[in-house]
Amino acid sequence: MPFLKPPVVARTLHKWLGLLVGLQVLIWLATGLYMVVVDIDFIHGDTLVKNTQQPLLVPGKSAHDIASLRAQYQDATKISLRPVMGKTFYTVTTVDHRYLVDPQTGAVKLPLDENTAREIARYHYAGEAQISNATLISSNPPMEIQTRRLPLWRVDFDDRFSTSFYIDPYNGSLATRRHQYWRIFDFLWALHIMDYEDRSDAHNRLLIFAQFTGLTFAVTGLWLLFYSFSGRRRKKGNVVI
Amino acid sequence: MLLLKKLHKWVGLFIGIQVLLWLLSGLVISLLDPVKVNGRQWASPVVTEPQYIGPTALLEPAELPTEYLKDALSIDLTIQHGIPVYLIRHSDGEHLVSGIDGSLVTFESFDAQKLASQDFNGDGEVISVERGMAPDMETRNHSGAYWRVNFSDKANTAIYISISTGKILERRNSYWRVRDFFWMLHIMDYAGHKDFNNPLIITVALVAIWLGLSGFLLLFGSFNRHDFFFLRFPGKRDDVVITLFEPGVTGPRKVVLRRGSNLFLSLATHGVSLPSICGGGGECGKCRVRFEVTDLPDASGIDLLLVPKRLREKGYRLACQQIVENNMTLHLSEGTLTPPD
Ligand code: FES
Repeated sequence: MPFLKPPVVARTLHKWLGLLVGLQVLIWLATGLYMVVVDIDFIHGDTLVKNTQQPLLVPGKSAHDIASLRAQYQDATKISLRPVMGKTFYTVTTVDHRYLVDPQTGAVKLPLDENTAREIARYHYAGEAQISNATLISSNPPMEIQTRRLPLWRVDFDDRFSTSFYIDPYNGSLATRRHQYWRIFDFLWALHIMDYEDRSDAHNRLLIFAQFTGLTFAVTGLWLLFYSFSGRRRKKGNVVI
Repeated sequence: MLLLKKLHKWVGLFIGIQVLLWLLSGLVISLLDPVKVNGRQWASPVVTEPQYIGPTALLEPAELPTEYLKDALSIDLTIQHGIPVYLIRHSDGEHLVSGIDGSLVTFESFDAQKLASQDFNGDGEVISVERGMAPDMETRNHSGAYWRVNFSDKANTAIYISISTGKILERRNSYWRVRDFFWMLHIMDYAGHKDFNNPLIITVALVAIWLGLSGFLLLFGSFNRHDFFFLRFPGKRDDVVITLFEPGVTGPRKVVLRRGSNLFLSLATHGVSLPSICGGGGECGKCRVRFEVTDLPDASGIDLLLVPKRLREKGYRLACQQIVENNMTLHLSEGTLTPPD
């Protein structure tokens, strides 16, 4: 229809493109709004943890010093000093094992049991709520820890954020923490980048197609705006036909 | 509806450009291949042969110089670049200390050049090595001094090596720089390119949601079932004849329109362009036509607003607000059928 005038073209396009991507544009705006309004440090759970920057107390020479550990674990590729609940431990990494060693008494039994996991979670939890549940996750991890090394103890707190702490049973560290607002963020992020499975790939065809359509939609909208506000000025003195 | 439309237009006027920028920057960011953006495309695969600490005589952590141990958060003993080293992490950065004599290990420009060249397998050579004392835009996620090793490849790769640990901090290139520019536009943090919880974007996003909501509601109002005529059986047409008169034009002109279609738009697709600025949006009030008394439809809210009472009483209505229902006769203003040019 070559004879349609530009504003008619713009209006028709805006309407039909709106039908095509209007819902997604609204989803972009709404999910974007959540992500900018809710503080990202809160999302990361920084306000729910404590005792995460405890200085080490470096152990002196003992029956279980590094020299003896190297003799005991000859295939060690890494020996570290890490605090667990305020006390310093060695973690020994070999090609296919990890060990946690108490500098005073020698190796610790691994994986850490449920009570220890609960204790560690408690030690890092900045809130007041009680622990409601603890589970050892060794396979089929939930979406929220998909990239993490298993097994992990999941310790749930009975607070209004549905907080979960993940404790590594092989070194006693707080591997990560999740809560309801993080889960919402993650879900909205999937909607935002239209990657509904991995929730991480913003280089996907569906998204690119939607963005391209959305962009055309926005351009036609701005184009219409131009007509609608230029019409405003000319309207006066134009009453009689 | 009228109010929604007003809201939609005014919000659009104020933040339309930013909405456009969001879509544009989002599109550019998605189009860029992340493997190129983060430089993995041109990074040598990591060799994963285990490096055993082995039996060499070593200092215990407690024997290292106390200045390194004070307030340490973690200590890791590994083999790096062939020697046993302790990596000591503090809240303000990391240090490498030799496990053999407790001396501080640092990386010189020569080492950085070597490490970067080992990592880079793209098409280019090292052209320069610069020292940076504090994080800049490209190293903003790190602290401490670093070497920037520049390569001559097409993507202008720069590999950043930490002076204190020899770690590769970042691999930057033109793809990353383009992405970062558009990321800045997307999150509206023009100084840091990092903080998407900034007050400016929160404000604009809070306003923009109204653009989306009003638009979404308007979308429902702007469609009627006749817009989807193409979904009906082919061949089943339901037509209406419109007879058009115009002063100074001899004889009426007849057009056949689809029943249920929008009068303004249907006339336009049949080559009859009524005067209009807004393109059928019910905003400019220019598309008025005169109906015969017998076919005169009730005035809509928009008619009441944009067509003066005197003209309404004479039978004028806005064509863009009318649905074609029955055969009818319309009187157009001069110059519509024969544009004076
Ligand atoms: S075309 Fe502008 S009001 Fe009808």
